[in-house]
Amino acid sequence: MQSQQQEHAFVFTGTGREYFKIWIVNLLLSVVTLGIYSAWAKVRRTQYFYRNTQLAGAHFEYHGLPIAILKGRLIAFGLLAIYYLAGVFSPLLAIIIFLLIAAIMPWMIVRSLRFKLHNSSYRGLRFSFAGSDAAAYTVFLLFPILTVLSLYTLAPFTHQRIKQFQHGNSEFGDTFFSFDASVKSFYGIYLRLLGMLFGIGLLVGIFAALGWHLMFILLPIAFIFIAGYFAVSLPNLIWNSTGLGEHTFYSRLQIKPYVWISFTNLLGIIFTLGLFIPFAQIRMMRYKLENMGLLAAGDVATFVAGQAQLTNALGEETAEMFDLDISL
Amino acid sequence: MQGHYYDGQSAAAQAVDITLVDDVWVLCGAEFELRWPLSQVNISERLGNTPRRLTFSAGGHCEVTDLAALDALLVHTQTQRSWLDAMQHSFAWAGIASVAFVAVLIFSYVYLLPWSAQVMAQRLPSIVLQKMGSSTLSTLDRVMLQPSQLDATRQQTLARAFAQLTPLTAAQMPYRIEFRSAPKMGANAFALPDGTIVLLDELVALTQNDDEIVAVLAHERAHVEQRHAARMVLQSSAVGLLMTWYMGDVSSLLATVPSVVMQAQYSREMEAEADEIAKQTLRANHLSSCLLGTMLEKLEAAHQASPATTRNADDVVMDYLSSHPATAERIQQMCPERR
Repeated sequence: MQSQQQEHAFVFTGTGREYFKIWIVNLLLSVVTLGIYSAWAKVRRTQYFYRNTQLAGAHFEYHGLPIAILKGRLIAFGLLAIYYLAGVFSPLLAIIIFLLIAAIMPWMIVRSLRFKLHNSSYRGLRFSFAGSDAAAYTVFLLFPILTVLSLYTLAPFTHQRIKQFQHGNSEFGDTFFSFDASVKSFYGIYLRLLGMLFGIGLLVGIFAALGWHLMFILLPIAFIFIAGYFAVSLPNLIWNSTGLGEHTFYSRLQIKPYVWISFTNLLGIIFTLGLFIPFAQIRMMRYKLENMGLLAAGDVATFVAGQAQLTNALGEETAEMFDLDISL
Repeated sequence: MQGHYYDGQSAAAQAVDITLVDDVWVLCGAEFELRWPLSQVNISERLGNTPRRLTFSAGGHCEVTDLAALDALLVHTQTQRSWLDAMQHSFAWAGIASVAFVAVLIFSYVYLLPWSAQVMAQRLPSIVLQKMGSSTLSTLDRVMLQPSQLDATRQQTLARAFAQLTPLTAAQMPYRIEFRSAPKMGANAFALPDGTIVLLDELVALTQNDDEIVAVLAHERAHVEQRHAARMVLQSSAVGLLMTWYMGDVSSLLATVPSVVMQAQYSREMEAEADEIAKQTLRANHLSSCLLGTMLEKLEAAHQASPATTRNADDVVMDYLSSHPATAERIQQMCPERR
């Protein structure tokens, strides 16, 4: 029997004016402390976004400890610095360092995902991440290597596996998220992208042969729209295929508004020396969140806390670990 | 004050009425009443108009959206607003911070960056400079440069003429002249970080006077001695790295822009410095510093004749004519006696 579905859109209440004040003060403190404070700034910024995000009448909360984020940033900075320096000294050394970083990356990604989810809560219940290291090495190391060896023909497959690993292993309280987007649907998006790029290439060839100079204006516009197609279709596919228990998510981003927001954001940032960044982030976040939501199959209040939260053992341990600024 | 209570065990929200009685928080729900002394309640700091939380040390929390009512209650406690809280919510501080941020940005770009690049460039081990130079040269040889058409004796004559030029100070960096040809690039000479000076046939062909070529080489050697190339590489890569990090937060689309926009070119100060050193060197060797000026004129004339060829130089290569909006002024500097 099909139960009544109720649509809950995310509501985002952040404003550019308000966020600007928080952002600029924290940015200045980060600069003055030579970056040390940036971890505290990140917590505040994340909290601002989480607390302004509402779903079914309740807000999200971020609990990340700045010191853990600082640790993660120092590690990332150290690795990057070593890699850069090695590159200057000898390409061979750089390759070795690169391989070492690649070898520990899946392990770090799992830590980072755990940190991020464990430190997020909604209605007093924590999120958590149960993905294993072994699976992480498969999707973040083995599949990418195979992708390169296959001359990127496996890229959509790898992308699907990464999202499946990420979403399928996430939990809210004791309820698992699910992910059922097919590999085929990822190939669909990538092939359409390829087709459009090929079409553009063809047009460029024809116009160049005709000596038609208008294409120098049209070409960037076409590229922006193709990039927009990709940036919109992927989250739509991913979130429309993500469920939480008996509930499902939806995402209805559209190319035109997305491209418009991206483009005007870019102009704003360039012409204000970056001071428009907080406004840009708020605009984009509002657009994304307001076009996403949960199709609830029943009462959203019926979730209960998971094992990790009740015992708090794993939680304490992961909170002591570090966060990496990885966006997947 | 109204709020929503969550027990931390389930997602169910319970509407509660919150009061503060004698330093004890009292939560009245439909079917329960909870009491927490002040010391066992953590109240989240203000952050814009976002809801604030009363977190209870034994578990559970309250979400409060009526910020004014909460502030009114907090007046009775000893809770002080932190200085950061005050700063984050003040327009005056936002204004001060914006001005300070832009000032820091400009100061760093104009003073801090060149200064630290100079300090670092002086301390770079020579092996690093060698790697930078040799990899650049091999890339250029692959994509742009061709072997020189000058015969060995001509090359030797030029190299020897330059070797006879006594430098102002004892050379710190060994230099080496590489003869190449690059019809696409036009008349040019440039210095690589490791001390390699690439001299193009097209430049040699511009003049009958070998001293003029020596003058150009003296200018390039000044770039080498002052480690200008290494400084520019350090500067542009630092800017690129920072911009990527800074922009990377917004959108990955933006992150690719800076590396395209940022190109390594000598600053005008570096050109002026190299000109000055070349001028002093020529004079110390009883040569006229006008030689560099007349050569500059010829270079400019050659490039104006075929402007399309001038801008093809690789990023890392310091194009002799790159940052020269004021060639006339430079000539004037080197050749003041000629008006």
